[in-house]
Amino acid sequence: MNLSEGVQVVSLVILSAMVIAAAMGVVLLPNIVYAAFLLGGVFISVAGLYLLLNADFVAAAQVLIYVGAVNVLILFAIMLVNKRQAYPEFKLSGLRNTITALVCIALFCLLTITLTSTNWAIQPATFVLTSTLVTIAKHFFYDYLLPFELASVLLLVALIGAIVLARREFIADVQKDGAIVDESLSLLEKPREQLVGTKL
Amino acid sequence: MILSGYEYFLVFLLVCTFVPILGLVLAKLLSPAIASPASRTTYESGCEPKGGAWIQFNIRYYMFALAFVIFDVETVFLYPWAVAFSQLGIIAFIEALIFISILVLGLVYAWRKGALEWS
Repeated sequence: MNLSEGVQVVSLVILSAMVIAAAMGVVLLPNIVYAAFLLGGVFISVAGLYLLLNADFVAAAQVLIYVGAVNVLILFAIMLVNKRQAYPEFKLSGLRNTITALVCIALFCLLTITLTSTNWAIQPATFVLTSTLVTIAKHFFYDYLLPFELASVLLLVALIGAIVLARREFIADVQKDGAIVDESLSLLEKPREQLVGTKL
Repeated sequence: MILSGYEYFLVFLLVCTFVPILGLVLAKLLSPAIASPASRTTYESGCEPKGGAWIQFNIRYYMFALAFVIFDVETVFLYPWAVAFSQLGIIAFIEALIFISILVLGLVYAWRKGALEWS
């Protein structure tokens, strides 16, 4: 049983409206936290559009990578520096807005030209409706096994690197006593002291 | 033309949308009118809430976010394997086990370094 054309059109309209509304919210809302959450809404709606295009793996990857990873990191970056301080007014804000508007209008015109000049009628004569997931899995485990396993090594390197960078080592404390305290097994919350300026 | 099987997804999505709306509407209809200002305060696990909610978050959450992101990306690689599991056979199972075991090394490292602990 397939979804009927009407259901697909209604889904497309709802998803497009969600994308546009959330994207407008991202741009227009003054509160950056709301903007970040709405950005997650944009990503989820785009994942729905991918589903409508039969790209199920891309949709899953969109949810996992963009909503799960990218948006979470954006939110964390915002929440960790969320000090509500008033920044001084940028001096050339009028010029900045003008340049931004020009770039956006140029991009819009370019996309419109591309939309109208592309011959959308060209379709593959016959294509088999199968899930792309099985194909991707077969490529993963038969053709591209080494890159697949190397990806896990890459993730391992990323995890260890993230832990090493995010750990806060209190170097001055170690140097003061002369004895190296075993602090390798604990995450310290004290801020990292500057190496320059400490007594050696 | 869309792949088959999405009608369940659509029904699931509709139910998921309907249930929170139902909960909110029912709470609006059934709950008594707010009597005192105390009943307007935020529910804070029995404690009295103090301070604003718009504060700088503790840096400690960041470690959890980093570990989560890594294993989130791992899920992308394992998802096709899980879907096509029955068609891939025992070799792919062993290969996926190698993939997971390499990442378990990272988990062990994070654990040993105390990145998963709160204190």
